[in-house]
Amino acid sequence: MLDILGTIGGNVLSLPGILGLALGMMTRKLWLGALMGGVVGVIETLIFAGWQLAHVETLELVIAIVVGVCAGSIGTAIRLKGATV
Amino acid sequence: MAEDNRGRIRRIWDWFWSPIPVLSVGFTLIAGFLAGILFWGGFHWTLELTNTEEFCTSCHSMETNLGEYRQTIHYNNHSGVRAICSDCHVPHEWNHKIKAKVMAVKDVYHELVGTIGTSEKYEAHRLSMASAVWKKMKESDSRECRNCHNFAYMDFTIQEARAASEHQRAIDNNMTCIDCHQGIAHSLPPDYLEEYQKVTEELSAQAAEPLEKHAAAGDDIRSFLQNSTD
Repeated sequence: MLDILGTIGGNVLSLPGILGLALGMMTRKLWLGALMGGVVGVIETLIFAGWQLAHVETLELVIAIVVGVCAGSIGTAIRLKGATV
Repeated sequence: MAEDNRGRIRRIWDWFWSPIPVLSVGFTLIAGFLAGILFWGGFHWTLELTNTEEFCTSCHSMETNLGEYRQTIHYNNHSGVRAICSDCHVPHEWNHKIKAKVMAVKDVYHELVGTIGTSEKYEAHRLSMASAVWKKMKESDSRECRNCHNFAYMDFTIQEARAASEHQRAIDNNMTCIDCHQGIAHSLPPDYLEEYQKVTEELSAQAAEPLEKHAAAGDDIRSFLQNSTD
């Protein structure tokens, strides 16, 4: 459990959380924000695995994608709520 | 003038999301950029403060392992290089580091409830604490050891004969630092070999291909040595 919480925290404060949020704020389309966040999650996991699929932990990949999708969606919601353009 | 019936929280919420016509885009961007630098700098600086030896050993329950560590070569040695707590227990990579920091919250809890508050309690938990660290190190191919040590950087000709032959054996058998160097910084509990065996068996059972995926460095050296002998 602690391991999962740590992984979630690490991703929220890393690329999926921060870059995912920033990318989500660049669009008004929810699906696009979520997609960009998810892609960042995949890329981040690959970066930390040294671009070798054999080193990718499934749980870490799933958590990174979920955090990225959530962050991207929140970013889009912020754009919709807080900007008129 | 119409009376505002909104509650305080609602008014703050509406104010937060309403456009501010007095600020230009440039001003907002520059102010946001500066605020971002200040926030991130402060956050990172605070995080680094939690990596200091003073911070790690400020808890009463850390006194025992601090005393043990001070008797080891990682504290005092001929080269004058020191590895402090965070060098071995906190990963350098951002994602792994944040994960370790989040997981370290449990240490604060155990300090507060006094789980290892006395030497008797400490000894009672020594094996389980050591086992948890061994498991983490075995899983990560001793990642934190390798921030300083690497088979590729070793000159076996200037190592003691036994060390050189053991390191060669480690490369040949895809072993990792913690396979031999348990107790390098803290005293070993009784029955530690049986416990370490249990850890390795558990990890082997979990992995479909037991730890071979971590052997990239060893593979490089082995292929180099094979080519040299050919």
